[in-house]
Amino acid sequence: MSARRAHRIAVVSVAVGAGVMLALLAVPVGVLVMRGGLSGLRQLGGDAELRRALLLTATTATGATLVTVLLGTPLAYLLARDRVPGGSVATALVELPLLIPHPVAGIALLLAFGRASPAGAALQRLGLSIVGSPAGIALAMLFVAAPLYISAARESIARVDRRYEDVARTLGDSPFMAARRVTLPLAGRGLVTAAVVMWARAVSEFGAIVILTYNPKVASVLSYDRFTAFGLDSALPVAAILVLLALVPLVVLRSLRSGISRLDQPS
Amino acid sequence: MIELSGLASRAGAFELRDISATIPAGAWGIVLGAAGAGKTTLLETIAGVRPITAGSVRLRGLDVTRLEIEHRRVGFVYQHSYLFPHLTVAENIGYGAHDDGAVQSLIERFGAGTLTSRSVSSLSGGERQLIALLRALAPSPDILLLDEPFAALDPRGRVRIRSELRRWQRERTATVLHVTHDLIEAATLGDVAMMLSAGRLSQSGTPEALFRRPATREMAEFAGAENVFSGHVTRAESTTGSEVSTLIFRGEGIELLGVGDHPGGAAHAVVRAEDIALAGTPSSSGSARNVLDGRVIEVARDGVLARVTVAVGVTMLTAVVTRDAATELGIVADQRVLAVIKATAVHLC
Repeated sequence: MSARRAHRIAVVSVAVGAGVMLALLAVPVGVLVMRGGLSGLRQLGGDAELRRALLLTATTATGATLVTVLLGTPLAYLLARDRVPGGSVATALVELPLLIPHPVAGIALLLAFGRASPAGAALQRLGLSIVGSPAGIALAMLFVAAPLYISAARESIARVDRRYEDVARTLGDSPFMAARRVTLPLAGRGLVTAAVVMWARAVSEFGAIVILTYNPKVASVLSYDRFTAFGLDSALPVAAILVLLALVPLVVLRSLRSGISRLDQPS
Repeated sequence: MIELSGLASRAGAFELRDISATIPAGAWGIVLGAAGAGKTTLLETIAGVRPITAGSVRLRGLDVTRLEIEHRRVGFVYQHSYLFPHLTVAENIGYGAHDDGAVQSLIERFGAGTLTSRSVSSLSGGERQLIALLRALAPSPDILLLDEPFAALDPRGRVRIRSELRRWQRERTATVLHVTHDLIEAATLGDVAMMLSAGRLSQSGTPEALFRRPATREMAEFAGAENVFSGHVTRAESTTGSEVSTLIFRGEGIELLGVGDHPGGAAHAVVRAEDIALAGTPSSSGSARNVLDGRVIEVARDGVLARVTVAVGVTMLTAVVTRDAATELGIVADQRVLAVIKATAVHLC
């Protein structure tokens, strides 16, 4: 076989492989949107349960994301700057929820925060129930999606040369002020990207939520509920709306990524 | 004043060890050394950026060994500037300043007025270094640590900024410790100098002493000495009772007579190229004690100077003479010449 012919076969093989891969990812989503997208959008006006589910999904995902940004950013900073004793153990703990099957995550949360657990009982006394409440949904979303935020935030912060902080400190900043005035702004776009990814992951969560809080229903649970109770046609509009909702963070991410490469240039 | 006593620090696998030195208040200290010698690590350790593993640092007479960076009140300029890319040039300069008026006069004084409206990303390497310098000067520190701060400036800008900074330092009697590879910079600015080698202090003193009387082969070569030989020194018996002995150096196929207080033993002989005179015939009136018979290998003309490589046996010597002298002596390749070196020009270390 000539070298030219071998090269042509290699090019064709790569192109076919890439095309098949892309089709595997795009076709199911495309079919879903085509079959249920329009009816889903039409149904939004008259289906109060769907509207409630979407609103609940968005608010709980937003709540989980905000709490993670607030508590996870300091943790990501400490991990990025190697200031956590036993940092590799802490990193493994952060990443562990990504590896656990999500229904198992739901069971773990049920055991830790259910009414029978000490933490659940204490929260109950404060009037906060985790099982069967929006708080439980947000907790499940946080548990499965926060590792994505913390890992991405840690990498964003680690990319900021720590000498920027050192310079800021020679100019009088405390470590906290140097992080606030220099590191976090420089890592800002990366942090926003991490938050968007986490939000998107939280919106799509099903396994952990369905164990912890079947009702009130988020969109993913509603889609599953309608599929099991009424069949595919009833589930389609809800599923299609969820896919369309996922386009929002996708667009945000693409616009953010173009800015990140600019900020990564050394000065 | 900067006082270092038995200072040690780590940067990854690299170790800075046993550094003891004093930069008097208001003096300009120079740190010399090859790449990887530990110069930046030394500055970072003084600034508190790197933790001290042994020894102590005293600034202004106070022990700051355990003090946080921000409480040491030193200005620090990195070679790579590290301007904050999310801030404007003006915001960078004013980052640590306490007085806007002082910042403005600093900008005018150093001729950076046209840069303040620019974005950091649009600055050239030299402009970034200037802004980084002004940012460090803006809080008016009385101790300044400079890591090759003029390396990216063009030659004219370097001379201008260097002299302006020298004036600024004298006005405030600020103490400066300055890492540089530029020997002219070291000679013109430095009151004291230290040479680092593999994380250790190999020599300290005035810049002139380091250049003229290097303590190590590395320092000699760093200072641009072309003729450095390794060998052995023996002391000749003194017939005059003088403490200054005649020393005989033998090594790398050459024998040289020198003077000094070398105790004898393994040594390096250093002869600067400009201290070697070339002659066609022996002079009866000459007082030089080293007259070496050699053959010209190469004559490289460099402006008004000629760099002449002479083989003395198997040893190569480099001499620098004026082009006029080379022409007058008719120095050409393969010609026999005498390399004449005074004993006082042979430095033994």
